[in-house]
Order: sequence, then C-alpha cells, then structure tokens
Amino acid sequence: MNIVVAIKHIPSLADELEVNDEGTNLDYDMVDFVLNEFDEQAIEQAVLVKEASGGAVTVVGVDVIEELDGVLHTALAKGADKAVKIVGDLEPGIDSHTHARWLADAIKEMDADIILTGVQAADDLDGQIGPMLAAHLDMPYLGVVTGVEVAHRVATLYKEYAGGMMGKYAVSLPLVVGVQAATKPPRYAPISKIRQIAKTAVIEEIEVDDDGPGAAVMLRKMSPPVSTGHANMLPGDAEAVAEKIIAIIKERGLL
Amino acid sequence: MLTIPERFVFTFLLTVLGAVTAAGFYGIFNIVRSGRAAPPRQETLRHLIAAFIDVGLQKPIFRTRTVLSIFHAFIFFGFSFYFLVNVTDALEGFVKGFELIYGGEAIPAVAPALTPVVNLGLVNLFNLVADVLSVLTLTGMAAFILRRFLGRDKRLRFNDNVLLHPQVEQGHVHVDSAIVGGFIMIHVGSRFLGQVFRLAENGRPDWFMPFASVLSYIFRSVPPNILNVGQHITWWLAIGLILLFFPYFVRSKHIHLMAAPLNIGLGKQAPRGQLDPAVPPGADDDVEPGAKLLQDLAWPRLLDAYACIMCNRCQDVCPAHSQGLSLSPSALEVNKRYLINEEYFALAGGNRSHHLLTEVVISPEAVWSCTTCYACVRICPVGNEPMADIIDIRRRMIIGGAEIDNGIQSALESLAKNGNWFGKGSRARARWTKGLGFKIKDAAKETAEYLWFVGDTASFDARVTPLTQKVAAILHQAGVDYSILGRLEQNSGNDARRVGEEGLFEQLVENNLAAFGKSQFNQIITTDPHSLNTLRNEYPQYGGMWPVHHYSKVLLQLVESCRLEIKNKLSHYRATYHDPCYLGRYNGGYAAPRQLLALLGVNLIEMPRNRENSYCCGAGGGQIWLGTTPEGERPSENRIREAITALSQSANGSGPGGKLIFVVACPKDVVMYTDAVKTTGNEDKVVVKDIIELVEEAIGEAGD
Ligand code: SF4
Ligand code: SF4
Repeated sequence: MNIVVAIKHIPSLADELEVNDEGTNLDYDMVDFVLNEFDEQAIEQAVLVKEASGGAVTVVGVDVIEELDGVLHTALAKGADKAVKIVGDLEPGIDSHTHARWLADAIKEMDADIILTGVQAADDLDGQIGPMLAAHLDMPYLGVVTGVEVAHRVATLYKEYAGGMMGKYAVSLPLVVGVQAATKPPRYAPISKIRQIAKTAVIEEIEVDDDGPGAAVMLRKMSPPVSTGHANMLPGDAEAVAEKIIAIIKERGLL
Repeated sequence: MLTIPERFVFTFLLTVLGAVTAAGFYGIFNIVRSGRAAPPRQETLRHLIAAFIDVGLQKPIFRTRTVLSIFHAFIFFGFSFYFLVNVTDALEGFVKGFELIYGGEAIPAVAPALTPVVNLGLVNLFNLVADVLSVLTLTGMAAFILRRFLGRDKRLRFNDNVLLHPQVEQGHVHVDSAIVGGFIMIHVGSRFLGQVFRLAENGRPDWFMPFASVLSYIFRSVPPNILNVGQHITWWLAIGLILLFFPYFVRSKHIHLMAAPLNIGLGKQAPRGQLDPAVPPGADDDVEPGAKLLQDLAWPRLLDAYACIMCNRCQDVCPAHSQGLSLSPSALEVNKRYLINEEYFALAGGNRSHHLLTEVVISPEAVWSCTTCYACVRICPVGNEPMADIIDIRRRMIIGGAEIDNGIQSALESLAKNGNWFGKGSRARARWTKGLGFKIKDAAKETAEYLWFVGDTASFDARVTPLTQKVAAILHQAGVDYSILGRLEQNSGNDARRVGEEGLFEQLVENNLAAFGKSQFNQIITTDPHSLNTLRNEYPQYGGMWPVHHYSKVLLQLVESCRLEIKNKLSHYRATYHDPCYLGRYNGGYAAPRQLLALLGVNLIEMPRNRENSYCCGAGGGQIWLGTTPEGERPSENRIREAITALSQSANGSGPGGKLIFVVACPKDVVMYTDAVKTTGNEDKVVVKDIIELVEEAIGEAGD
C-alpha cells in the first residue's frame, strides 16, 4: 500500500507576526517556518496505518523557503520511508490552488492508495488542499477525520461531529483524507535519529516552473489587529487589579 | 585443638566450599565485566587506597542516621578484626598447644619464634580488642535486628506503588537480613562463648578478656568434659559456619563489605555535574545509546548492585519518594541485584538478560519522576549512582520511541525548533531588555569581559523577567562589562540531557558554541544553576573552555570590592536560604550566597536540610515540563513548610509585613516557590525573594 502525506510549510506562530512594508502580506523575512500542525497529525496517522496494515509512507511538500529538509528528516525519523520536495524559484505566500496543483502533479507519479493531508493550515485557513487534491486526482475526499484504519483496500474513517457524535465511514481506496487528528498524539522524533537521517537520507526533488492557474483571488491588505480603544487596562499587581475589578462591578451596580 | 576427624571434615569443607565460592566470585566478576565500558578511571590504586581509608574510618556512612551508623561502626570494626580472629582460631584448632589465652603463655613452647610477640604483650592486646569488639559487634547486630524485625522501621520498606522484583515483593530482603544477622550473631556469639567456656574450664579468669572472664564465673560449676565439648561446638559454630556461609555470601547483600570499598574506589572521577556519555567512548556505530537491559548499563552500575546494602538511605532523601511517587532509588538498586541473582548463571555465562529494565528494575512512570537532584548519589554510603541508571534508561526510551509525557515532548520539540522550551520564537529572547534605560552589549558585535548566559526561564517567564532586569541594572550600575547573545542564545541543554535527549543536548551545545565562537568575551556569568552546571562541567568536552560563574559570586565580589555600596543593612529580615541542587550539591556553590547575605546584613537562619543535604524544589531533570501534575505534597511545598518551621522557631526580625523571607538564587526556584507559597496558603507568612532583590534593597538610597 502506498501511503502519501501531503504537507505544508507555514510561518511559525511562536514569533510575533509582522506585516511587510506594503501591508500586503506577512514579512516573511521576520518569521521562522514550521510544519503545519495538522500535517503533523497526518504524518502520525500515516505511520500508524503503515504499522498496523503495512505499506510505505511517502511525504511530499513544497519547499517554499528552501528549509523543508528538516521537516522531511523529522518525518523520516518518525517512520516515513520516502521524502519528496517540490522545488523551484519560489516565494512564500503560494495560494492553495497552486499548492494543490503542484502536489497533485507529484502524487500522480506515486501510485498512491491513500493520501493524507492536514485538514487545514494556520496560514490561510483555506482547508482547500485536500478537496482540490481529490479533484485533481479524481478520488473521493473526506475531511476533519480523527482516525484511519485500512484493511482489504477499504479505509475505515472516523469523524467527530458536533455534540460528540461519532461518524464511521467505509471508503474504498484510493482516496484523500483531510486529517484533523491522528488516533494517537504525534510521536517524538529523537534529534540524534533526525541528525543521522540528515546525513544519509536522499530527498527526491521535483522541479516546478509554471504560472498555471492559481486562485482567482488575491490578498489586498493585511494588518495587525487594531486596538479599538475600548479596552480599559487595569495596571498593578493581581491584588490591586482584583480590587479595581470589584470596584467597577460595584460601580455598575452588578453586585 | 580439633580431633582428627574434625580436622579432616574442616579441610574437606574448606576445599569444596572454598572452590564453590571462588567460582561464585568469578561469576560476579564476569557479570560486572559484561556491563558497558565506563569512562576510564585514572590512578586507580590511589583511589582504591583512599576508599579503603575512608571506609576504614567509616566516613561515608556517617553522612546521616548517626545512631545507627555508630552501631554499624561497631559491627564493621568487629567484623574487620574478626578476619584476624578467625585465622588465629583456625590455627588454635589445628596446631596443638597454640593457644592465645592468658597472653599466649603456651605459645613459646610450640612456636619459639613468636616468643617476642608474647613477651611484648601483643597477645594480651589482641585478646582485649577481640573481647571488646565481640561484645560491640553483638550489640550493634542486636540493635539492627531489633530495629528491622521488632521496630519494623518504616524506612526499610518501600511505598506500595514502587515496582519490586517478585522476590523483593515477597520480603526476601528481610529474609536475607535475617540470615546475615543470624550468621553474625552466631558466628561472633559462639566465638565469644567458646572463650567463656575455655576460661571456665581452666578455672581462672584472664582480665585481658574482661567480658568473657566475668561470664566465665557462671559456667565454673559445669563439668570440664562438657565445657570441652562446648568448646568444640562453639568452634564449629564460629569458624565452621563461615565455610557454610561462603557460598551464600555470593548471593547475599552482605557482599557489600567487599563490593562497597571497591565501588567507592572505582567510582566516578568526573565532576558530579558531568554525565557519562550515552554511548561508551569508542563504541561501534550500532551501539544504541542508553540502557534497555542490564548489560546496556556501564559496569559500575552493575557493581553498584553488589555494593548496595539495601539501607534505603537514598530513598529517604529522594523528593519523588517523599511525594509518594513510584520512584525509589534504593528499589532500583535492590531490584537490579535480585534480577542479577535470578539470572546469575546465564549472565555469568555471557548471556544477555531476558528482562527489560523497565519491567523489573524501575517502572517507566518512576523513570520520569526523577528530578536528577543528586541527593541519592550524594547520600549513598557505598558510592552508588541510581540516578545514572535512570538517565540511561530515559536515553533508550527516547531513542527507542517510547511514549513520553506530552509536556516533556512539547518542551523538547520547542527546544529543537526554537532553542527554548517556552514555545517562543528566538527573536523574542531578548525582549526582556526593553525598557531597561540602557543598552546591553550585543555579544556578536562588541567585546566584553563577561558573557551573560541568560537562560530560558530568566528570558521568558513573566514572573522572572523583572528579576532579570534587576540583575542587568545592578551589573550595569556596578560597571560590569558584559554582553548577551540575544536571539543567538539557545537553551544550554542541561535539562534536555537529563531527560535523556542526548541528540538534542548536542545540537543545543553546538548552536551555543557557534554563537560563543562569534563573540568576544573571557568569562561567562549566569543566574541559572542548570545552565551553569552544563556550561561549566560538560561544555568543556565539546570545546567550550570558559570559566563560568554564578551571579551570587559575582555580586559578592562586587560588594566586597565596594563597587556596590551597601547603604541599608537588612538586619530586620528573618530569612532562610535555599541551596539550588545544581548550584550547591552539583557545584559546591554554598559559600558565596551566604557570604553575600551576611554582607547585606540579613539575619540568616538555616533550614535543617541545607548545603549538601538541601532538598530539591522538584523542577529539575525535566520535571518542570511535565504535562500532568503528580499527586501528593510537592517537594517545593514540603520545603516551604520546612522553612516556616525553621524560621518561626527563631525569634528576631521579619520581612515586610512581618513575613519570613525565603531567599532563592535560581530562576526556576522563583517560579517553584512562589507557586508553593500560594498552594500551601502561606502568602501571609512567607515571601519568596531572589537574592538580587535583597541586593537591590541594600544598595538602594538609604531609608528607601
Ligand atoms: S543505593 Fe546506597 S543508599 Fe540506596 S539502599 Fe543501596 S546502599 Fe543504601
Ligand atoms: S536524583 Fe533525586 S529524584 Fe532522582 S532518584 Fe535520586 S534522589 Fe530521587
């Protein structure tokens, strides 16, 4: 069974985000990039499926800022078997349509039986890559999945609905899954293993060079949240603040 | 003098059982050797001699439990002297006319060469010492037996949740103790009684054997032939019994009397704060780091199991144990020994153990409860290092992909990704410097005498950054020439290494050393004892050779040289000081903070557990990262209560609002104890202050 995980490298939220001078997007020079956390779940789910039902896991992603190797090495340390990166003269801020098209072109060559990808990513909150991959590859798609099992070319997928209701699907392979959470929390990849892999692993490269159709929309303006001036900050230590809060509550006649 | 058949039987038993025992020892030798290589020991002979002297003076055991240690010393001296006594007793049995009684008056007739020894009165001296020590040994042993079996001393037991080898669970340690205790009582008691019988048979006392002589009067009326038979029986019970005990000795904890001095003499020579490598030096590439089976442990860890006398002193001082958690360093050693005994023949024959350490020796849960406070290692009278086993087991769990606590995992992931465990971007590291009113030198751009290694907690924790700013301001005010690395600084790796993530530790060391390499400075200062420890003791192995100082020492020097002027004496403060494990026990930094407090005029009251005996705050070894809070009284809460008791017993002085002052000198302590004061509901009684706050008050404008 060929299990493919499509991943995305996105700006880290550990940093305070800054907007570029034109005010059109993030200042990508001022942030670090990390793996989308839902993709981390997708990788874990892929490895769990492989451990339970056999197969090989291939991880593929677009190397936007030429720093994807670390992410791929980590995936290999966690149990993936092969890593592929899509390279080219790229700039951050690639839209979902383009992202999905490149990924789909790469995956077409992989004879994939099941494709897992994070259900969405924090950078654009599109949640589009999974469905678009499915469209490009002409496969069914199920998103917001919290558990995957595969047996006899049928995937059993679990999906949690509002109110704690649990749905269970049986879908024939091949298919694309948008992973919300893996069955177990993502495992830890020891650094010495990652470093060892970094020395020996070969990452396959696929070159892209096109201006094919992208999203028909573009981001016009990005700005940090503006403080509306309505918040009234209470200075002082916890005790002083507590006293002021009580005073305000009393003053408004709430007590 | 023994009869001929007796002599024959004795010789036969000596040969057979002696051979069995020798084979037993050879097996032990092979088992210990089957462990992994340890860092090579230097000047082994000198260290062994030093160890034998220390043991001879009973120094290691007097670290705690004084009364019991006195009893132990009785037994120790008695038993040591009995090596000589046993030889002379055997000679008495085999050589006709060779008798030590009455100053050895009969000896010149059989061994004329020994006449001067007799004439000098040395035999009398021998008899006197043997007589007194016999009684002391019996007293000591009786005390031990009473304490274990009648007093049922709780300290000799384990918490219910501690993983125990099935035999330990069934109480074999007590059985072994009963056998050893019984052996000593019978062995020494019989020898002593034999002397009594002999004196009674002869009908005259030997006042160089005072105790035996007094007792001999009781037996005066017993017919001589019966007394004679009695002497044969007691000889066998004293000397013959040793032969029977020999083979058992190989399996018993009593072997500590030989293994302990060896273990101390062959013990770790590197500084306390330097962990042994995860893979033995020079090992093949396919050797996995850390330990899963007995043989993955370094050989000193296997010798530890033989040295262990199962006294539980290490358990007494273990913060995890006191909290009621499933960790007991002594159970670890005891289990190891019982596992070795169980698999003795297979292991001695070169086979690998069949049991995972985490199934028999220590539970995975307990592995993750260790704060790496070093208290167990420090207190152990036989030089054991249970903590080293724990770290090696962690190492293998990490590399082997075992499931680890989610808090620890995300801390490690953040360390790998961001270089700090707060999940903050590296750019945020120097944010605390905002609003200082002066600029701190950037180490990458400007030369400075000191590089200040700030550390994660002092850089990111909102409860600590105001203190970090105070340190910065005071150093600045005193004209100290220092710089910081800013975003280039990463976590020192001390705790990552102690969690068992060796690869991450190495990565952090490399990144920091790369940053150091780009900077110009001569010495390092830090407020963080954890960083200090690894920078001082472990970075040199990777090429980082700078002297590293704790801020308590730097501040002391500044006050002593009057670069900081004390304007207000803080003599109204009733304060106690907590020694951080990684500054104190690991690095001996006891004096500087105390001298500094004295110069500030603080009226310092020591807690019962201070300096070497300081009690861990519970944060170290990755415990501060745990995603779940274990049940039970946390070590920091226990410590706050200890402080309150100590401080309320002394009368004078108090802090603001009559509060007691709990002085700390470690960023993690600020966090841990501020928290513990709240959770114990003692906010109206105690206030936690970093030593820098006291310095600030003392150098402030008079009357501030
Ligand atoms: S390890 Fe040391 S302190 Fe602990 S039980 Fe054994 S001998 Fe006693
Ligand atoms: S190092 Fe401290 S916490 Fe760990 S086992 Fe020893 S005494 Fe207990």
